[in-house]
Amino acid sequence: MEDIVIAILRSGTPLVYVTLAGVIAQRAGIWHLGLEGLMITGACATVLGIVLTGSIWAALLWAIAVCVAGSVLFWFVVEKLRANQIIAGLGLTGLGLGGTTLAVQSIFGTQAAVSAPFGLPRLGPAFGAYGSLSVLVVLMPVLVLAVWVMLRRTRFGLRLAASGEHPFAARSVGVNPSAMRLAALVMGGALCALAGAELATGSLQIFAQNMTAGRGFMGFAAVIFGAGHPIGATLAALFFAIVGAIGIKAQLIFGDRIPHDLLLGLPYIATVLGIWVSTKLRGGTKAANGFTELRNE
Amino acid sequence: MMEDRSPIFECRDVTVRYGDITALADVGVTFERGMIHAVVGQNGAGKTTFARVLAGLVRPAAGSLKFSGRPHAGGSVNDARKAGVELVHQSFALPPTFTVAEAMQFGAEGGSLFTRSALERRWQPHLDSLDVKVKARQRIRDLPVEIQQGVEIARALVSEAKLLILDEPTAVLSPEGTEKLFERIRRLKARGVTVILILHKIREVLAIADTVTVLRSGRLVDGPLDCTEIDADRLAELIIGPAAARGLNADDKAALTGSATVAHAHNETPSAGKNTVLDMRAVSTRPDTEGPALDNVDLTISAGEIIGVAGVEGNGQRTLVRAISALVDVVDGKLAIGGDNVTGKQLAARRAAGLRIIPFERNVEGLSLSSSLWENWSARSLLQMPLLAAINPITIQKRCAAALNRWDVRYANVTQRASSLSGGNAQKVILSREMDDDARLILAAQPTRGLDIGATSFVWDAMRDAKARGCGLLFISSDLDEIFDISDRVVVMLSGRIVAEFRPPYDISAVGAAMTGVLK
Repeated sequence: MEDIVIAILRSGTPLVYVTLAGVIAQRAGIWHLGLEGLMITGACATVLGIVLTGSIWAALLWAIAVCVAGSVLFWFVVEKLRANQIIAGLGLTGLGLGGTTLAVQSIFGTQAAVSAPFGLPRLGPAFGAYGSLSVLVVLMPVLVLAVWVMLRRTRFGLRLAASGEHPFAARSVGVNPSAMRLAALVMGGALCALAGAELATGSLQIFAQNMTAGRGFMGFAAVIFGAGHPIGATLAALFFAIVGAIGIKAQLIFGDRIPHDLLLGLPYIATVLGIWVSTKLRGGTKAANGFTELRNE
Repeated sequence: MMEDRSPIFECRDVTVRYGDITALADVGVTFERGMIHAVVGQNGAGKTTFARVLAGLVRPAAGSLKFSGRPHAGGSVNDARKAGVELVHQSFALPPTFTVAEAMQFGAEGGSLFTRSALERRWQPHLDSLDVKVKARQRIRDLPVEIQQGVEIARALVSEAKLLILDEPTAVLSPEGTEKLFERIRRLKARGVTVILILHKIREVLAIADTVTVLRSGRLVDGPLDCTEIDADRLAELIIGPAAARGLNADDKAALTGSATVAHAHNETPSAGKNTVLDMRAVSTRPDTEGPALDNVDLTISAGEIIGVAGVEGNGQRTLVRAISALVDVVDGKLAIGGDNVTGKQLAARRAAGLRIIPFERNVEGLSLSSSLWENWSARSLLQMPLLAAINPITIQKRCAAALNRWDVRYANVTQRASSLSGGNAQKVILSREMDDDARLILAAQPTRGLDIGATSFVWDAMRDAKARGCGLLFISSDLDEIFDISDRVVVMLSGRIVAEFRPPYDISAVGAAMTGVLK
């Protein structure tokens, strides 16, 4: 049992971080398809930061700085150049996936995985079997709660939501919706950096090409599944992680009797089913309607 | 505290441009404090732009603004709000998923971190003190328009507002609701708030305002004039202007400006009972997200008859149009067009029976904005042809050009996109398509909304012509004056039912009472 919980927390934590980034963006009126690109940028920057500076904290700061810069670029393209946010988001993802490969290639002259000498601090032996988990796993529920309070229980959150839902209403009380979106994307950038850091150095200590493997898109799916609510989306992300863990467990049990690829595909199948289920529920429909609004823009 | 005697607002030479269009030109006006000021004018006169300049939502290209004697650069909502200026929008600016308390909080100061119940405790007394009958935890989207307007006014008054601007607040209200709103505004005046009302109807101006300012085509015509020293006719002249007044009869003039209720008996007797073009018997539909269901609706329209549908918006008018045009299922009852029972038939069959529709949303349902004029115009005839029938664009374009010229559409080329037309011209394209010689029943849903004087009277005349040709028309409008001016009969809708029917001469107070369900 313990090993399953650990596996879920391990794969779920980066997913929750990236999902929170998507939730904040969605509240501000941005459907953030650049999550994948920011997440892999965070993973790459953390590992490179450790290798080049020898300090995990410097590496984390560096990763956050790079991802925030990417978010500001995204904001600039969408808000100032009036680009379609879906296209711009996909572009950001492409930039992240390609850019990280290029960075590794140009620094190490190889496309092989880069390993770091150490990773994020672990909880340590005091936590028994859970000791191998990183501190970001413990920080995760705290951040989920903090994001929830910020979005639903502060005036800042109301203004952010108004900027997304009814920008004119925001403008008429003197809020600048564009500035609110910048704030949302900057926060999201920092969260994506943490997601990437946890993925690359939370249990492994390695950066490999395309190592996010669609987790950013799963985070995006969790935002829709959770109807844009921080807690709902977190639960959706953890649900995907649980399905993934079950897949791995099933692989161990069934061995070759079930095709390996099918089991690996379980989280993605669950994502599609999850979206379908959520459109049957009220909240999901609401989130999906956002796309219609986008098209009419 | 020293009594501040400086005017609450003054502006000089204010000019606002949107691209090539000048929305306001050299407007200079001074408003004294403690009064109710009305700003009137037709659609396109620049009233809303003027309100937005005051509220800081629009930065003027030229001119100077002063609030309470202090100069302002304009273009900043925060500056305007600091000076105590608040604007209540025509279509309300409240996020629909917010609770009432959240809608108050997001524009207010203080209490940046809160719990739900703390928020409700904070704002419920504020709502109560303004006599807005709503629970702070209700969601905006669940509220009827009159309450939403009350909430929006309460939202505007969360801080110490000194100058409250309401942009066409009566457009969504029944006569009764308007009366209540005016009561509320008088109480605000008693509390020392200066109010600027953007209005459309002279009747309303004279009922509430201390002064009136008239805008026409973005220019200041006159004002502020003392309301006790001006009469309705003079005001109507100022609003319409000498050029447009030619070619308008007295009733149309009165209907345009709301200077008097049109109560004339129509000269020709309707040929009721002879040729029925629409016959609805006990029609009911299922409720859906777009409005209340129809509940047992009986409605007949004869050839050569215009039936006006009055009612506060959202009482089933849209469902009525959708039920007749087969966009919502009729679950009970019978619907016949031109004598054919079309109850279960699709729209194509109903159009073949002579149904034509001028829809509510001209830019969404009426036209494909990204398609050319000739494509839009030919949609009616093409849809009646077989799926794989060959079409000849050149011929269609020629016929389209001829038709558009006949309908006086101002356009450059039939291949230009529909999005390039002004509202009035776009509506004329729809009229030229829907008011053809084969039309027998025409649904005209808010056909004059947002149009200027010329286009509005054009639409009225087109409806009268169609009637003279023997069409039956169903005319839905939220403007009682135009309904009374045009219609041979008026039915009132409330919560998906037809609750009353009136014949000329119309009594505005009786119709108003029916709209709010106060039937004697």
